[in-house]
Amino acid sequence: MAEYKLLLKHSDDPATQTLAGYKKAGGYSGLAKALKMERQAVIDEVKTSGLRGRGGAGFPSWIKWNGLPKEKVKPHYVLCNADEGEPGTFKDKMLMETAPFQLIEGMTIAGFAVQGDVGYIYIRGEFIDAAKALRKAIDEAYANNLLGKNILGTDFSYDLHIHLGAGSYECGEESALMSSLMGERGMPRLKFPHAPLPTVSGVWERPTLINNVESYSCVPHIIDKGGEWYATLGASTKNSRGTKIFSVSGHVNKPGNYEIEFGTPLKELLEMAGGVKGGKLKACIPGGSSMPVIKPDAVDVAIIGYEEMGEVKSMVGSGGCMFFNEHTDIVMLAWRTAHFYANESCGKCTPCREGTRWMVQIMDRIVAGNGQKGDMELLTEVANNVEGRSFCALGDAAAWPIKAFIRQFPEEFEYWIEHGKSPVTSKEALALVP
Amino acid sequence: MSELIQLGSHNERPMPPKADELNLRFSEQAIKELEGLKTHYPNLKACILPGLWIAQREYGGFLDGDAIAEVAHRLSRSYAEVQGVATFYSMYNTVHNPGKHKIEVCTCLSCHFNSAYRIRDYVSKKLGIKNGETTADGMFMLEEVECLNACDRAPVVQVGDRYFGPVDEKSIDALLEELRASEESTVVKMADQIVQVQLKAEERVGTIR
Repeated sequence: MAEYKLLLKHSDDPATQTLAGYKKAGGYSGLAKALKMERQAVIDEVKTSGLRGRGGAGFPSWIKWNGLPKEKVKPHYVLCNADEGEPGTFKDKMLMETAPFQLIEGMTIAGFAVQGDVGYIYIRGEFIDAAKALRKAIDEAYANNLLGKNILGTDFSYDLHIHLGAGSYECGEESALMSSLMGERGMPRLKFPHAPLPTVSGVWERPTLINNVESYSCVPHIIDKGGEWYATLGASTKNSRGTKIFSVSGHVNKPGNYEIEFGTPLKELLEMAGGVKGGKLKACIPGGSSMPVIKPDAVDVAIIGYEEMGEVKSMVGSGGCMFFNEHTDIVMLAWRTAHFYANESCGKCTPCREGTRWMVQIMDRIVAGNGQKGDMELLTEVANNVEGRSFCALGDAAAWPIKAFIRQFPEEFEYWIEHGKSPVTSKEALALVP
Repeated sequence: MSELIQLGSHNERPMPPKADELNLRFSEQAIKELEGLKTHYPNLKACILPGLWIAQREYGGFLDGDAIAEVAHRLSRSYAEVQGVATFYSMYNTVHNPGKHKIEVCTCLSCHFNSAYRIRDYVSKKLGIKNGETTADGMFMLEEVECLNACDRAPVVQVGDRYFGPVDEKSIDALLEELRASEESTVVKMADQIVQVQLKAEERVGTIR
């Protein structure tokens, strides 16, 4: 299979970043169609499409959409999670910069389906270019009655605001994002079943729909061409439908965003990105830094799909696919990953705050040449005690990769601990040691 | 700043700082922009983040105690609450004045394995400062940051509202020269642009550049 461009179809055509160009390319026919449908019919269409959240968890989108109260008592909010922070992922940035109207249309349809009053796009502060593109598009949509009061002459009114974050990976987690939007420190909250779902009591304790940029961007296509058509994409997989954008980076010849149909072999994704540069493939992190690392033999057999990736003990995640060549020091990779999570842990839950710090201390002493016997077991034990013991998934995300690095490449850790230096001795690798 | 942290009497919430004990510096434009932003949210608390961005521009890129107090005052929140929020986020400069340009070098996974530490050390040596420090002339600050999500252009450097990548020693030299020659502070420009993109067309006072 080759690339299948649905969301990124017009990404190299700047004309589609204007309303006229977007409409010419078939844009806004989804919204026009949705506004003539019953609200429930729009949600059913999303159900038929089999769309699952593209932010990392893969939760069926329609369940969220259907979860908002049908009898409206309080205002309903629609949030877009554009706080893309997962190392290795850069798809949302591209979607916002090259197809801003697609996202706006998707959010407007979502707003219509769940009786939303106001939508917020929470963009991470660093993405000023994406925010500028969206602002231009939103201004144009307001001027053309595609946002605001009585959209396209119907009784549906909907406001859309941009809200910029200020530098926190943690705010990409939905409950932390809502805390941040409400003007608090970006810390997560208690989750279902211990607290109500966001669809019942989310931001400002009101019913809230929250989805990723890529999920919303799929919606105009689903409504326009029908859920059944969308479900034919990726039909070879167990339960993954549609297309997924993979951000390929690391040691590849042509890093970039590649949109593929679910069911495509991971090996083909690597080929699209021009293959590995600077040597043979050594490791691959298929879905962003939080996901477990896999070895070349697993890359050869892996099929891209939410369930299919589980067979090689990894996950699709957010689609930040990183390939590393044979000169890569896995312990160094684990060291940097551990630092990332320790830096970004918000500090709310003790196991994550202390556990990530502890893992960093162990990794630091290993790469300083002072590794002790039993450090690998200790790392695994600490990781086990962080996993599943914090409010949000950052704790899990810190534990999984470390455990996977040790499981997949124990000999490299053993070498470092025994000899106090890297098993990879090539010139390329030595340049990396900080 | 302790006089600004008013605890109030008898189980009252901490009070926001009062105007007569402050040295208010928000310009007319800033006040107008804050009024516009207030209409976006159901309460004033949600304006803390956008309010801090305005303050970061108005106070020249650095949120000192006066800036925090002014945001607290204008949004009727306590000093402690606003400071608590400001110190959580890495893009608000609350520790020391970053100077005119903040050089943010990404050293996360993909950049790390594309020699980001070499770039960081090169900038550090060239400017004679360590990670997190500002040069004596107040021109540059060097900061090692987590993933900037432009891994396809690794190694990436962000300065204000611009991304540069892939960078090497040569392009860093050129970049530093260009920044040295420019009049405008990229730290302030970034804060300004972040404020402008959040405002609707009719609320906007400045321009998006």
